[in-house]
Amino acid sequence: MEYKEIIQSALQALRINILRTSLTMLGIIIGITSVILIYSIGQGAVAFITNELSSFGTDYFQINPGGNQISTFAGSNTLTFEDVEAIRNDSSLTNIKYVVPFAMASETVSANGQEEELLIYGSTHEAVEIFKPELTDGSFITEEQENASERVAVIGTDAAEKFFGEDSSPVGETIRINNRTFRITGVTESTSVLAGGFINNALFIPIGAVTDQILGEKRLQEIDVSVYDQNSINQTLKDVEDLLRDRHGLEEGDENDFQIQSAKDILSTVQTVTGLLTAMIVAISGISLVVGGIGVMNIMLVSVTERTKEIGLLKAIGAKQGDILSQFLIEAVVMTSIGGIIGIILGTIGALVISLIFKIPFIVSAPAIIIAVGVSSLVGIIFGLYPARRAAKLSPIDALRYE
Amino acid sequence: MSNNVPLIQLENVIKKYPLAEDEFYQALNSISLEIKEGEFVAIMGPSGSGKSTLMHIMGALDNLSGGKYFFKGKDISSYSEDQLAEIRNKEIGFVFQTFNLLPRTTVLKNVERPMIYAGIPGRQRDKRAYEALKLVGIEDKANNLSNRISGGQIQRVAIARALVMDPSIILADEPTGNLDSKTSHEIMKFIAKLNREGRTIVVITHEKDIASFANRIIRLMDGKVLSDTKGKK
Repeated sequence: MEYKEIIQSALQALRINILRTSLTMLGIIIGITSVILIYSIGQGAVAFITNELSSFGTDYFQINPGGNQISTFAGSNTLTFEDVEAIRNDSSLTNIKYVVPFAMASETVSANGQEEELLIYGSTHEAVEIFKPELTDGSFITEEQENASERVAVIGTDAAEKFFGEDSSPVGETIRINNRTFRITGVTESTSVLAGGFINNALFIPIGAVTDQILGEKRLQEIDVSVYDQNSINQTLKDVEDLLRDRHGLEEGDENDFQIQSAKDILSTVQTVTGLLTAMIVAISGISLVVGGIGVMNIMLVSVTERTKEIGLLKAIGAKQGDILSQFLIEAVVMTSIGGIIGIILGTIGALVISLIFKIPFIVSAPAIIIAVGVSSLVGIIFGLYPARRAAKLSPIDALRYE
Repeated sequence: MSNNVPLIQLENVIKKYPLAEDEFYQALNSISLEIKEGEFVAIMGPSGSGKSTLMHIMGALDNLSGGKYFFKGKDISSYSEDQLAEIRNKEIGFVFQTFNLLPRTTVLKNVERPMIYAGIPGRQRDKRAYEALKLVGIEDKANNLSNRISGGQIQRVAIARALVMDPSIILADEPTGNLDSKTSHEIMKFIAKLNREGRTIVVITHEKDIASFANRIIRLMDGKVLSDTKGKK
């Protein structure tokens, strides 16, 4: 029997019970929609995070005090300015470009008659090489200001707006931190959602001013090390780790009392976690495809029983077992494939809407669509085969006699 | 085909249906008969006499429990289901009492169906189906859905479908069982006309006036041939 004829007759058979067909297809539609939707959002999220983290560049690694994140958070004090100098001055570390220490504080800042709690980054003039913030006005901290621990500050664009209003030029204005007056020399802005969250709402001031005049102690929260050659970043990272372990008097087998991680590592960790999470949710939503498939099998079995006399008639006029088998199998496959296509369309539209709402990249993956079509057809074949075989195996006379 | 070889030859055909363990219902009890080309045979008998079983056997719809079935001289007793399907498709045209047509399918598509299974290409199918419908006089209903035509028209479409593959024999099982007497008469007259044009026809009926159209009447009783006589016409 010609495939065109079989498909036409399958479509016709499905049209006859349009409500039943639609309800049966719903299982497949929900399954494919959720797979496409989740996969697409997962891909979008990975792309978003990759993009965000890459905006800092992947040519540096960061060192934080404390053996784990809890102790870092609790204000561990294991990194010193001597560590910074030791890394800078080690002549064997030729791949190192910049070594930038950070001392951070959260303080009430007042200016223009207003008060705000702001994050204050004490750093060196080279911080600009790591964070790469955009300067919308004025200039970043200079080496001279840094050396003299001058009371100068570079203010984030959102913070500037809060104190001085929109479209203002706060360069030259003063702000007060801990009753000390600082002169604003520049305004920074980051368009990155992730980085913008803290850069645009922070102050950058010379590190000496933070440790001496605000914190009152020489405590470092982070040392960022950038390299010339990204390909050998892991070796450089290892060398710095060895140097710090040596300096901190750690024996072999002792845990690090600091954390060291490259931007690339963070990126790949995030990508792995997001990827795994996506795969897991896709697999879970795949279960609904199996449930949908069972629905298809159920309805096909009902259909075979209902059409027993029709099968008998078709056999009487010359339909072979293969003709009946392919007719019912194609009916199941057509049903699940149409469900799959509707699912792809709905899933893609859903992914587009979500990407617009949450401002993540909209990614439609061609392999995901091809796999979705394949899987939905496969569901039709797997779950349609048993009912179709049952139809094909009916004896013509039993089928004709069926009441 | 040589006239000496019968179209259908049954030799001691037995058909048993299992009832329970070691229990059988014997529908056909050693039936032997021949049907030659060009004959118009009516098979009669009360219900339970085995006439429908006999038609199913002759129509290659059912297998035998014993004996031999020669179709055009070939023993088809042990043919596979697919081989029998091919014989039904090319050699036998069926007209049933009820459920003759595929529901919600056009008349034309119904008549085309056997040709699809025979692998005849689309355009040729259309042409032949129209010709067959013309022959039975309802070509104007070609595009009607099968559930939108009358009982007499349904039987005509069934006859058109039975004719479309140009089979060796037409088997009609109570073809007028669901029709009023006027329409029954018309259908039987048409079947008789087909016979006069050279077609071999076997009609299963329990009605004498229907059987009277045939030129040979085989009467069955309890799965055996009771009589085999020449009809009135």
